[in-house]
Amino acid sequence: MSDARALKGRDHLIGAGLCIAYVLLLVATAPDLAMSRDESFYVHAAKDYAAWLAQFFSDPLSALGRESIDRAWAYNWEHPAWMKLSFASSWLAQKHFGLFPNESLAFRFPGMLTAGLLLWLIYAGGASLMRRQGAFFAALAFALMPRVFYHSHLACFDIPIAFFVTLTAYTYWRALADRRWVPVVGLAFGLALATKHNSWMLPGIFLIHFLWVRRDEARADRIERSSVAWLPSMLTLGPLMLVGTWPWLWHDTWSRLLAYVSFHLRHVHYTYEYLGVSYFEPPFPVSVPFVMTLFTVSLTVLALSLIGLYHRRAELRPPWRTKSGDMTGRKTEVLWLGCVLAPLLAIALPSSPIFGGTKHWIAAYPFLVLFAGWGLLAVIERAELELWTGRRWPSWAFAALCLLPGAAETAHSHPFGLSHYTPLAGGVPGAADLGMNRQFWGFTTGSLAKWITEKLPEGGSVWICDTTSGSWAMMQRDGLIPSNIRPASSMSSADIVLVHHEPHFNEVDYQAWVAYGSVQPVFVLRYDGVPIISVYENPDA
Amino acid sequence: MAEAGRKLSLAAWAWVLIAGLAVFELVAHPLIHAATPSDESWEAASAFVRARYRPTDRIVAAPSWVDPIVRSHLGDLLSLRIAAPSDLAGTDRVWELGIRGATRRDEPPALEEDFGGVRVRMWPVSTDEVVYDFVEEVQRAQVELVSADGSQVCPWMSARPARGGLGHGPMPPPEHFVCDPRRPWLWVGATVLADLELQPRRCIWQHPAGTDPVRVTFPDVPLGERLVIHGGIDYNSERRRVHGPVTLRVWIDDRLAGELVHQDGDGWSGIEIDTSELDVRRAAVRFETTAPDPRARLFCWAASTREGPSNE
Repeated sequence: MSDARALKGRDHLIGAGLCIAYVLLLVATAPDLAMSRDESFYVHAAKDYAAWLAQFFSDPLSALGRESIDRAWAYNWEHPAWMKLSFASSWLAQKHFGLFPNESLAFRFPGMLTAGLLLWLIYAGGASLMRRQGAFFAALAFALMPRVFYHSHLACFDIPIAFFVTLTAYTYWRALADRRWVPVVGLAFGLALATKHNSWMLPGIFLIHFLWVRRDEARADRIERSSVAWLPSMLTLGPLMLVGTWPWLWHDTWSRLLAYVSFHLRHVHYTYEYLGVSYFEPPFPVSVPFVMTLFTVSLTVLALSLIGLYHRRAELRPPWRTKSGDMTGRKTEVLWLGCVLAPLLAIALPSSPIFGGTKHWIAAYPFLVLFAGWGLLAVIERAELELWTGRRWPSWAFAALCLLPGAAETAHSHPFGLSHYTPLAGGVPGAADLGMNRQFWGFTTGSLAKWITEKLPEGGSVWICDTTSGSWAMMQRDGLIPSNIRPASSMSSADIVLVHHEPHFNEVDYQAWVAYGSVQPVFVLRYDGVPIISVYENPDA
Repeated sequence: MAEAGRKLSLAAWAWVLIAGLAVFELVAHPLIHAATPSDESWEAASAFVRARYRPTDRIVAAPSWVDPIVRSHLGDLLSLRIAAPSDLAGTDRVWELGIRGATRRDEPPALEEDFGGVRVRMWPVSTDEVVYDFVEEVQRAQVELVSADGSQVCPWMSARPARGGLGHGPMPPPEHFVCDPRRPWLWVGATVLADLELQPRRCIWQHPAGTDPVRVTFPDVPLGERLVIHGGIDYNSERRRVHGPVTLRVWIDDRLAGELVHQDGDGWSGIEIDTSELDVRRAAVRFETTAPDPRARLFCWAASTREGPSNE
């Protein structure tokens, strides 16, 4: 099948440029973001793994023993190891070579790198099929989503899994036409499996797509059919890589694998506010991923995605409408649509555990923006912008105009990425009126670092609410908080108390009232006028 | 030509539509930001209210999410009782500081001023006069843990402060009655509960111990015309609606006067006992909590004797 354009050096130059520019931007803006709860857990795990790696290189036999593996790998056993190994390696590099200006960046850099590589991949995937302009637009539209920008900074798995899911889909798509890609699909899927469990849905998406392609080929009476070689590659190399990169599974493999799967199938429910209701158990409204996407992604990009989908509707033609002799292809749009819908529908299922954060379906967005790329090109072509003027700049100006809302919103969202909502929701205050989730993970404490430092010039203690002690310690190691300001275990013994505003944290607010006999915060951190953190001061301090 | 012309016009429409959306987003974003009231606006509105504030006034925020901002400016005027009320009893006027056109009350206010996007409104209200507030007087009570072997007095004492945190329930005050140090939840004192709607309720924590009652007796209480009682269970315990009931029995001079049976899902709910026909004006009032299964029954109640309604 030759329904794609071969990428040239210039394409990779553009992709690499996007990647490097984005990583540099992330590095430059990272100091504004304190570590989130989950990052602090992964940092803890990465340090354990780094110690094991050091042992492995000095005394491999001992490191491979069950006792050593259990000691190092028992913490955070519920997530595969690949990204945590990357964080550990980066940290080891920092320890030995001092590559980064601070420790948190050492842990975060691998995640940032996957964000940059994802832009490259979106561009490459798009440029294989559409004009470079559309691919370039798609990559930037993804980069300029406020929530994507926030998550791209983190030592977490959400952007990495978006990258590996996209990579697996891309290599699968390549493998349909070129068998040299078959082993690469398995390797990519293995890395996805070794990153996060979102990857479990990929074989299902690919199978549906593949059956669609094969049925199409059969009805068109094509002699040459697409090969299913990708499937055994995924099913063999994938699990091998999962187990191979995760020493925790090297002993008691089956029981630990079952425990891992079981953990995610019976995941605890997070309390999440949506349209004025704090949900704490299923069913979560089916609309959540769709409304959250509508409220957090630029409306212009969403509209272009719909136009792109409409523009490419012929490629979504069901196989039973194919006739003998019809042209067939890899049905790329079917694959993309599957990759958009599967993550959204997985969260929309009433039986799914309550998560809520857009990060859980962020792997859908690379494919969403690829449709936006098609949409942009369709609008430009139909409007004949370049024909009117005989020049290309009007189409580039139009593309830039379409990216500007995302750019403006992303710039404004930092460092409150999880609190940001687009104008469709009425912005941050509009979302507060609607009763939408305001934050999670406690990272907004970083925005108070300067205030706290000035408030406690002689040192003191802070009750840090949703922020973990690991996140606090990282702020201290990064130099954002002096070492003589320590986290307090009790409100009563703290000099100041922080309350991160989410409705189900109201009880913490009331606890502070009783502990200090006052309902008056000394400071309220706000974002567009919406309270993010209240600070109470101990009257006895 | 006609076909080409039709296509062009449709295409032009899509181009304009998308450009319009982008412009809408670009314009809306700074407009939303600009509509945010400044600190100066909040300070001016707060100063206006502060200058006219009386102790029987109540201050509310609209929409409710600006409440922390309002408290940061006027919180020194708000006692826990005012900030976490059961109802409006004892209030003569309600002040509202609101933004974005939000309001807590539908009727026209007696006073309205705007301070750079912060709207101050005031309503005189007609509410019950509070004769005796049990929560404010809790230190005067006698607390006992009753069992088949008799009753054990729970002493009023300073206790080790609780840590606080999500899921930890209401914070014990620095001083309270301690009934059983081995069961740290078995204390009695004034705290603030997050009720089923996550609203703050100033109340007396009286976790049941089981079928044997935890007893709190207030001597020589002025009765007024009625005794109004509210009760509720901590949000985290009540929201799952899986636990058994809690019963609060109210005795006036050793006569059973009323019973509040709280089932999960009731939220902050209450009863009213008519005391106007009693032949005494002062009496000992006793509150007893029991539960068939006391696990996770983080029960808290508020009560007052009342007359009225009062009028400004």
